[in-house]
Amino acid sequence: MQDDDILQEFVIESSEHLADVEGQLLEIEECGANINLDLVNTVFRAVHSVKGAAGFLGLTTINELAHNLENVLNQVRNQELVPSGPVVDILLRSADLLRNLVLNVDESNSVDVSTQVEELKKILSGDFDVGAVEQAVAEAMVEVSETVAEAVGTRTTPSNTESTKQVSGPAEDHNFEVPDGFAPDTVTNSPSQSDEATTAPAPKASAPQTPSPVSSGSQAPKNDAKHTTKLTESNVRVNVAILDRLMNLAGELVLGRNQLLQSVNSSSQEKLEAVASRLDQVTSELQEAIMQTRMQPVGTVFNRFPRVVRDLSAKLGKKCTLEIEGNEVEVDKTIVEAIGDPLTHLVRNSVDHGIELPEIRRSKGKPEEGRIHLRAFHAAGKVCIRIEDDGGGIDPAKIKAKALSNGLISEAEANSMSIADTLRLIFAPGFSTAAAVTDVSGRGVGMDVVKTNIEQIGGTVDVESELGQGSAIHITLPLTLAIIPSMIVGCGPDKFAIPQSSIAELVRVPIAEFNERIGNVQGAEVLRIRGALLPLVRLNKVFRIEEPETTAEERRSIHVIVVESGQFRYGVAVDELFDSEEIVVKPLGRQLKDLGYLAGATILGDGHVALILDIAGIAAHANLRSCEDLDTVKGIKQDNSYSEKHRLLLFNNAPDEQFAIPMACVSRIERTPVGDILDVGGRLILPYRGGTLPLLSIEEHITARPRSAEISHVFIVVFSVGGQREIGLIAPELKDICNVELEVDCGSLREPGVAGVIVVDELPTRLLDLNEMTKSAHPEWMDRETPVQSDGKHILIAEDSAFFRRHVEQTIKDEGYAVTTAVDGQDAWEKLQEMRPLPTVVVTDVEMPRMTGLEFCKCIRANERTCNLPVIALTSLASEEDVQRGKDVGIDDYQVKLDKTNLLASIAKYCSQARR
Amino acid sequence: MSSKNIENSVCEKPAGNQLQLVTFGVGPAILALDISSIQEINRNLKFTKVPHAPSFVRGVTNLRGEVVTIVDLHVVLGMKQAEVSSQSRNLIVKHDDELLGLWVDRIADIMTINTTALSSPPANLQGVPRKLIRGVHQTPESLVMILDLDEFMIACHASESA
Repeated sequence: MQDDDILQEFVIESSEHLADVEGQLLEIEECGANINLDLVNTVFRAVHSVKGAAGFLGLTTINELAHNLENVLNQVRNQELVPSGPVVDILLRSADLLRNLVLNVDESNSVDVSTQVEELKKILSGDFDVGAVEQAVAEAMVEVSETVAEAVGTRTTPSNTESTKQVSGPAEDHNFEVPDGFAPDTVTNSPSQSDEATTAPAPKASAPQTPSPVSSGSQAPKNDAKHTTKLTESNVRVNVAILDRLMNLAGELVLGRNQLLQSVNSSSQEKLEAVASRLDQVTSELQEAIMQTRMQPVGTVFNRFPRVVRDLSAKLGKKCTLEIEGNEVEVDKTIVEAIGDPLTHLVRNSVDHGIELPEIRRSKGKPEEGRIHLRAFHAAGKVCIRIEDDGGGIDPAKIKAKALSNGLISEAEANSMSIADTLRLIFAPGFSTAAAVTDVSGRGVGMDVVKTNIEQIGGTVDVESELGQGSAIHITLPLTLAIIPSMIVGCGPDKFAIPQSSIAELVRVPIAEFNERIGNVQGAEVLRIRGALLPLVRLNKVFRIEEPETTAEERRSIHVIVVESGQFRYGVAVDELFDSEEIVVKPLGRQLKDLGYLAGATILGDGHVALILDIAGIAAHANLRSCEDLDTVKGIKQDNSYSEKHRLLLFNNAPDEQFAIPMACVSRIERTPVGDILDVGGRLILPYRGGTLPLLSIEEHITARPRSAEISHVFIVVFSVGGQREIGLIAPELKDICNVELEVDCGSLREPGVAGVIVVDELPTRLLDLNEMTKSAHPEWMDRETPVQSDGKHILIAEDSAFFRRHVEQTIKDEGYAVTTAVDGQDAWEKLQEMRPLPTVVVTDVEMPRMTGLEFCKCIRANERTCNLPVIALTSLASEEDVQRGKDVGIDDYQVKLDKTNLLASIAKYCSQARR
Repeated sequence: MSSKNIENSVCEKPAGNQLQLVTFGVGPAILALDISSIQEINRNLKFTKVPHAPSFVRGVTNLRGEVVTIVDLHVVLGMKQAEVSSQSRNLIVKHDDELLGLWVDRIADIMTINTTALSSPPANLQGVPRKLIRGVHQTPESLVMILDLDEFMIACHASESA
């Protein structure tokens, strides 16, 4: 063996030995005076092996340092020294230095380690001064490069070879948590072992415990190591069991190929099928096994954090414990490598920004010691990592202020932002909450880099926080980057793959329903799905793929893939849907890297290349505005016309007799066989979820033809009255949910239970008033609801549409408020001036004749007596611009019409504020 | 220029200042590349179009499990897109550690030349930008222009941004 080879092997082995020392030392510190002898022995042996080998190779510096380190450990082992914090500090630093020396073995002899050795000797002699130690160590560690830690952390891969485990004997218990599996005491047949006896002046106690030699498990990695000229991160250590399985599978594959060749020659269909299914199975297993070789436990990354937390909290004068869970969760090697830096950043953040100083914690009634919880777990085919702390949490107000001053958001945005969105601002580029820049964190580049890094590997990051209680960062990672389940779709002659992870659902629009389902908003196609409008992107248009010439009759149904990506949710229309396949992602060449809509390419079963679509990229490419913007478009359109749109549920009782219910009133819709409906004492009920649901049928309460007797199943529209009692309305045949301009004719056909008549799709449709219907069916329910909170709270409602006026009035009255109504802004303003005392809250429509809600609000604000009155505006669709306009004139809150719950919550909020 | 001819030439090792070239036709021009930069000559002309790709990218193809971008030499040299014929070939080259397919009309020959016999590109070069040419080799029948692959790739990207 060449000298270089030996040296190289020394480096690899020693690194292995030293890799776990850090964690073990920390554990030793935790045990304090209750010294765990096994653990100390483990560390001792690791250091000892390094020392022995170094002595043999003439690496005097390493030898000297290791020797002194060993002496201290020996004292600990003999229980002559208590491994207190300062002692472990020195031990840790010595171990760090030792590791760095080993990694830079060529220069190791020229490094001056005398200060460190001095400190170790001082411990031995029993007098040491912590302050001086730190100083000295700082000097001695000039050479320490940060990459070293990484190299050590990532190079060694999990290889809990069973064989290794068996020989590792005494240390096994402690090693269990150590994912590297290569415990420091696994000695191989390299210099370190043989030299021990000859060169090293080893303490007597050590030799006997050095466990036995070569395991078959370490053979493979060693061959590997010989080829390595320098320590790189591209080595994977593979469990021998997996390797064996791979060999077996490869054998199977060869067998399968031979059979295939035979059966092709004999051209027997049956045989061929058998071989095909066999090959299919072997290939899948092979793929799985190969994937396994790439899997690493996240523990390899997690293991560095106890030290990070320990050192950092000591430096900052904080007390923190780190709890780690899920070390064994495995993810792809590339992902393990990629999450190291972002996670370190997050953990440091938790200590630096999250956990408060002990005094503050005490004053807040929390335990002095902060808790950071790092957890990895599987969820829905992905790996989640959660970092929680019980620190001060993030103050949304501060975030907003900071983002405002940084110019990240505008005043208007700040006012309308939800708390969750506000918290997410910490991921915005150029954002940092640390008031002062510390050397720990807070350089203003942190969180956005974290986010970018995580997103680059296909993950997502989110933040949750409660002020005073702590915060949590939630990271979701794919298991692997190499293989993703995808949907193969066809567009023209080409095939594309869409990752399943971004697919929400598949929708087929039969050609017959084309006109009903697919609409057009300002030239952009939209898909109507369950009452919502979804932007529709036609793949062949985006890609300018020529459509095969088809006449209208030939056109088949359209396949729409509803996809989701961050803020975007839209439909992708494709010509054909093929199978869902596990595809292997291949990178694209440099020339195609800039195409944002592509996530890569894959090779399909027929050998053709299919492009993998990037959903967010396509949205950008198609100039798709986010769904919110689409709503704005609709909002603007409505501002021009005068009437307002509302979502209505349309249904028939008897054929050709259409009814409508505002969707906002509907809790849910159930389907039930007619036979289940019971008639009890002239009232209809439905046994339901262990109780009964009272039912209303239309023909019994208003003038209508009865429902057809032939129907076997009916829909039950469930709504609630007075916020507590649930009632079902029998709706035999549901037609549609649509957005309709409500031009309610309240005059004709008015009867209790019918609010008015509207025209939908040229059909006269009666808009039902569920409150009134219930009242006529069960008067006792409505009467019983006596006002409960009518302690002088009075609401003024301004609304020009009689239907809505009555609806809002009823809603608010039901809650026990006193109500005054006005038919428009002018009327309301006149009434308001006469009211003594003033109402508690004003609720006003925006669009009204004579005086609009905005003008009305201006009047209120301009008048001294009324200027502090809370004003809630009601609108059919609150677009951002509308809200802003309202806010500008002094409207306190916007609520969507018919959204009963939120309106009441808002009223309650302003009522309680007014009282204060 | 039979295939036999080609095989024979491959076997000869160029010595010293000799250069072994693969020559190929792109439209009317005869171009050449150093044989060491060429991995293989592929007849698989199946490829997948990439929408919105730069115009010089003809598509991507599957080369034994790797996705390789195919560059249409015609487009880079300012001609209209190459037609598919039975003589069309994919010249697989390695550039910047990345495999790349060059779509050429036909493979002409493999020849060993003496580097001293190379002349600089004439001023009145037609069709091909001068800076893409490392040198010119004259044969009795034609003028062979030796392509500079690095410059060529730069030109690809320039042609797109222009």
